[in-house]
Amino acid sequence: MFVSGSKMVIVVPEDLQARVREVARTILRAPFTRRTWSELLFLIVGAALAAVGLAFVGITVAAGVALAVTFIGLAVVGLAVRGARGFGGLHRNLARGLLNEQIEDPAPFVHRPGFLGWLQAVLRDRVGWRAMAYLVVKALLALVGIMTALSIWIDAFSCLTFPFSNHSQPAEFGVARIFFRPGFVSIQSSGFLHGLAIEATGVILFFVAPWATRVVILLDRPLLRALLGPGAMAERVRSLEHARAQTVDASVATLRRIERDLHDGTQAQLVALAMRLGMAKEKLATLDDPDLAPVRDLVDDAHRGAKEAIVELRDLARGIHPPALDLGLEGALSTLASRSTIPTELTLSLRDRPTPAIETIAYFCVAELLANVAQHANASRASVSCAQHGAWLRLVVRDDGMGGAQLSQLGSTSSGLSGLTDRVHAVDGRLDIVSPLRGPTVVTVDLPLHA
Amino acid sequence: MTGPLRVAIAEDSAVLRDGLVQLLADRGFVITDAVSDPDALRASVERERPDVAVVDIRMPPTFTDEGLRAAIDLRHRHPGLGILLFSQYIETRYAAELLADGAAGIGYLLKDRVADVSDFVDALRRVASGGTALDPEVVTQLLGASRRTDSISVLSAREREVLSLMAEGRSNAAIASELVVSEGAVEKHVANIFTKFDLPVTQSDHRRVLAVLRFLES
Repeated sequence: MFVSGSKMVIVVPEDLQARVREVARTILRAPFTRRTWSELLFLIVGAALAAVGLAFVGITVAAGVALAVTFIGLAVVGLAVRGARGFGGLHRNLARGLLNEQIEDPAPFVHRPGFLGWLQAVLRDRVGWRAMAYLVVKALLALVGIMTALSIWIDAFSCLTFPFSNHSQPAEFGVARIFFRPGFVSIQSSGFLHGLAIEATGVILFFVAPWATRVVILLDRPLLRALLGPGAMAERVRSLEHARAQTVDASVATLRRIERDLHDGTQAQLVALAMRLGMAKEKLATLDDPDLAPVRDLVDDAHRGAKEAIVELRDLARGIHPPALDLGLEGALSTLASRSTIPTELTLSLRDRPTPAIETIAYFCVAELLANVAQHANASRASVSCAQHGAWLRLVVRDDGMGGAQLSQLGSTSSGLSGLTDRVHAVDGRLDIVSPLRGPTVVTVDLPLHA
Repeated sequence: MTGPLRVAIAEDSAVLRDGLVQLLADRGFVITDAVSDPDALRASVERERPDVAVVDIRMPPTFTDEGLRAAIDLRHRHPGLGILLFSQYIETRYAAELLADGAAGIGYLLKDRVADVSDFVDALRRVASGGTALDPEVVTQLLGASRRTDSISVLSAREREVLSLMAEGRSNAAIASELVVSEGAVEKHVANIFTKFDLPVTQSDHRRVLAVLRFLES
């Protein structure tokens, strides 16, 4: 802006002109964009959902606290967390659909078989608790939204439709009071000017409302992401779990390859060697020469040694990776059960095949537990059951022996079992022993189907 | 049977395959073919019509149970063909599958057994002539898997030994020499077992194997 002669010329830079034009266009178009109406819909549906959600959380948590002295209290709180997770999912889907907010699903709820498994998992469910926090904060935010953005919309419509209504003045609600009460528009007056003023207010509010809505939504977005997404810690845990699963799977694949190399290489060569020694032994037996007696003894020893080496190598290879597992748990476990010196009954019900790593751990658990039964339990019968409960595999090994088995005791008497509990824990599994004196002993192993 | 027995060998380990060829040729068998995978075995049996096939269970391409699949397949196409399955491990499920269609002309042995050359050759001859040769380990597992533990516990220790040898497919004479008793004594034990199990007495060795196995499985 500068002065030239007597005439004042206002020169507006072109880029500023363009910006002003753009801002004006944006403001004028805002009420007619898809985004604005989606956000308004989110505001309304979200508020309704928040009211229901808050009522749910309030009632269940209050009931849970009231029943806290009994066991049922915990279950009710569990129900509250589980329900909050569900409401959280609804809000998340609403945000995805209407706000185009990219929120990833948190990890699905998984729990060990049985009611206690469910209760433990649900009370520790961070996703559920965070969803509950969202429901509470969201209820407050919804109230703010109703009192500000939504009331502006309502005022705008009631002002705009004022000429068509038979009321003397527009509905007086929320922020519109600010315009009406201080005399900006006199609500006591009437007539054409009065109507025009109300109509003008309606138009202004109509163009302000989208921005008020946007501000409220802007407050909601970070909450949605922080409380209904997977969460930074959960993301980290998930990536670590993924890496661990890969490590476990890779180690099983390596062991399988070692077993195969042994089978194709050393074992085959030993068998061929023992076979040739056997041929030599039989040839020597047909020769009737007393000088050959020491040779005969040497060959006999070598033959026996080779046969023993085959058996030892086979046991070793089976300990590295039982080849029957390649065709699934069923065949491998049936061989284990029938090899057991105690009559053992096997029942299997698996819908999905676990990963090789889990199959291997399950196999070695059963092998070790049956060996323990045979060695220590003084049992006459044993049973093995292997059943799928959702995403979990439950192994139960039972015997009618003398009982009194403890994990530490079992661990010290058999080198394998303590290693097994480590392997079970390594995939977030669990091993429980119930073994009262005079039995029966029941060992339960829970393993996830996927490492 | 006239002339030397004709044998096909399917074993993917070259060192073992060569050894088997040498051993069996040495014992007067005619080797029709020595191959390293199940498809070659199928083709060879079709072409050469051997009396018996020695088949490794783990063979290419997946190294799991190809040999068993090929054996079951060959049994259906050539009912007269004897099959001796040969493996580093004895699996209960494999034994059950193999014996599902009867025990005549079937053998299932651990690879170790070739070390005792004469026993192995006897087993092969037995299978070739329609008999049965089951590894002691197979028998142990079948006994272990049996739900008839009560019936088995009724047998005396000696009768249990005879039962095991009988289930391996041995004749009375072979059982007698193994246990160092007279054949008459073995016959008496066998009769006792069949009475205690309430099974009809049968003369042929493989039929009585089958009778015993059926009993254990039921």
